[in-house]
Amino acid sequence: MKGNVVKYERDNIDTDVIIPGQYLKVHDYAELATHAMEGLDPDFHSKVKESDFILSGKNFGCGSSREHAPIALSHSGVKAVLALSFARIFYRNSVDGAFLLPIEIEEDAYKGIAEGDEIDIDVSKNEITNLTKNQTYKMKPFSDIIGKIIDAGGLFNYKP
Amino acid sequence: MGKTLFEKIWDAHVVVGKQSGPSLIYIDRHLVHEVTSPQAFDGLRMNNRKVRRPDLTIATMDHNVPTTDRGLPILDQTSSVQIQTLEKNCQDFGIKLFDINSPNQGIVHVIGPQLGITLPGSTIVCGDSHTSTHGAFGALAFGIGTSEVEHVLASQTLWLEKPKPFEIRVEGKRKNPHAVTAKDIVLSIIKNIGTGGGTGTVIEYRGEGIEDLSMEQRMTICNMSIEAGARAGLIAPDEKTYEYLRGRQYTPKNYESLVDYWKENLKTDDDAKFEKQFTLHIDDIAPQVSWGTNPGMTCDVTETIPSPDDFSKGDSNQKKGAEKALDYMDLKPGTPIEEIKIDRVFIGSCTNARLEDLIEASKIVKRQKISSDVRAMVVPGSQMVKKQAEEMGLDKIFTDANFEWREAGCSMCLGMNPDILSPGERCASTSNRNFEGRQGTGGRTHLVSPVMAAAAAINGHFVDVRKVDFN
Repeated sequence: MKGNVVKYERDNIDTDVIIPGQYLKVHDYAELATHAMEGLDPDFHSKVKESDFILSGKNFGCGSSREHAPIALSHSGVKAVLALSFARIFYRNSVDGAFLLPIEIEEDAYKGIAEGDEIDIDVSKNEITNLTKNQTYKMKPFSDIIGKIIDAGGLFNYKP
Repeated sequence: MGKTLFEKIWDAHVVVGKQSGPSLIYIDRHLVHEVTSPQAFDGLRMNNRKVRRPDLTIATMDHNVPTTDRGLPILDQTSSVQIQTLEKNCQDFGIKLFDINSPNQGIVHVIGPQLGITLPGSTIVCGDSHTSTHGAFGALAFGIGTSEVEHVLASQTLWLEKPKPFEIRVEGKRKNPHAVTAKDIVLSIIKNIGTGGGTGTVIEYRGEGIEDLSMEQRMTICNMSIEAGARAGLIAPDEKTYEYLRGRQYTPKNYESLVDYWKENLKTDDDAKFEKQFTLHIDDIAPQVSWGTNPGMTCDVTETIPSPDDFSKGDSNQKKGAEKALDYMDLKPGTPIEEIKIDRVFIGSCTNARLEDLIEASKIVKRQKISSDVRAMVVPGSQMVKKQAEEMGLDKIFTDANFEWREAGCSMCLGMNPDILSPGERCASTSNRNFEGRQGTGGRTHLVSPVMAAAAAINGHFVDVRKVDFN
């Protein structure tokens, strides 16, 4: 899975900035996507491309349980969020609806990957390759159930 | 080895599972509201599924309902559609709904306990992160996303990985329990352990400082567990818990025999082991005011705004976060909290809009007028709270002081209905999140207790409420 990185070098990116409350009434996902990250980065929608990744710090997706958050990112083209840690509801929402992959990384990847770098994520090897800088980092493996839900394509296809 | 209260509730609800790995957990109560449920019901229809236990499912509308006159039509088209959609979904699937005109309408986390739907030892979920509130009754209660809402509607179960038990002890006695409230206790906890401090855990709040609290105050504590990143927060039930739930509209008929069972079973064993521990001593804690853009960015009302260096203690991301927060909040390090002038006051939300919150705030407001620079509103947590408050004459105390007195809903906590801040406006808010734009684009939120919010409305700025007269 290859793509370029949009980097937010901060912790605690909450679901209110990922998709502000006023848009929770929007049911058209394409329209929802135009407001993704609006609370933090109003230029996000114009700069993000299909298959891009977001890179950020600790506690990504904290706050509200709104599934609109991973939906808005997913429909903006974001295939994965790489973060030092995730808030649990956002994490589960991302995989339950098969919207995007929440990938936990270590400090080396967080520091080594810069805005715009092209990276290749190989989930089978738990490995992230920075094609721009020719570096490789480890990602934390998915737990058993998360891996299976991802492989199944979402919670409703998961069979234990 | 003994078990914690959380582990006992978990084990009693495992349908399928092993010691390690995921478990299929049975859900006793499912609370549904208009914002996170429409796609879940669409999913059921698409797959020709029914709601497995409509009798264990309760719905109300709270997030985007207007808090003005309920007799008027809803002007916001999209809100109106969302509300009508919930009505249709509840009708189609046979779910009990407390609609916008019901005397039981209100914020889900306020009405659940009030109606006796929340019970000790039960598992409770809702498509809302503040479901942790119900943990005050010794329930395992947590927020879920819309896919999981659909899963619970269809199967009354959820696949979950078992969180780790986290003990937070609150020790000592507050010298002035009117001025230093449950909100100040929980903000102090989050200030200390951080917004990610509880990640992957279920917190059990214990100790003298918790036992002393009323049920409504305990709800304020458990409500904000999610702001510390915890999956849930709970408190072992005691006589106060059993007394609170006795004789409510939906309290089970065999209640007293349930109480006997709960007394026997719903407590952490003496030899149980917690994975993590934290202790807060509350003898000398001060009223709290948040200054930044997450609930961990909080300090004593007697302090000054910290510098990003002091706040971050060497962590570069924390420092950047604090710099960005101060920029957004338009605050400078060194400014005394008591000198921060405010434009708006919001007394409301699932954190602090229960009867006791309104009674305490009214003691400060009584025979006073709010500052001419401030616009202030009270939004009761439920229509039942509103009615009880009106019977006590609290509405008159607030409106005499020039507060607006509204109908029940989530209102300005999350800015989904017309109750929002204008860009740049600064609000003393009894809600739970001070995130950027949460109360309206460009709005600036300071999280405080109801009494601090009331005092700020009167004075136009924050004050040390320990020095204020409670009439």
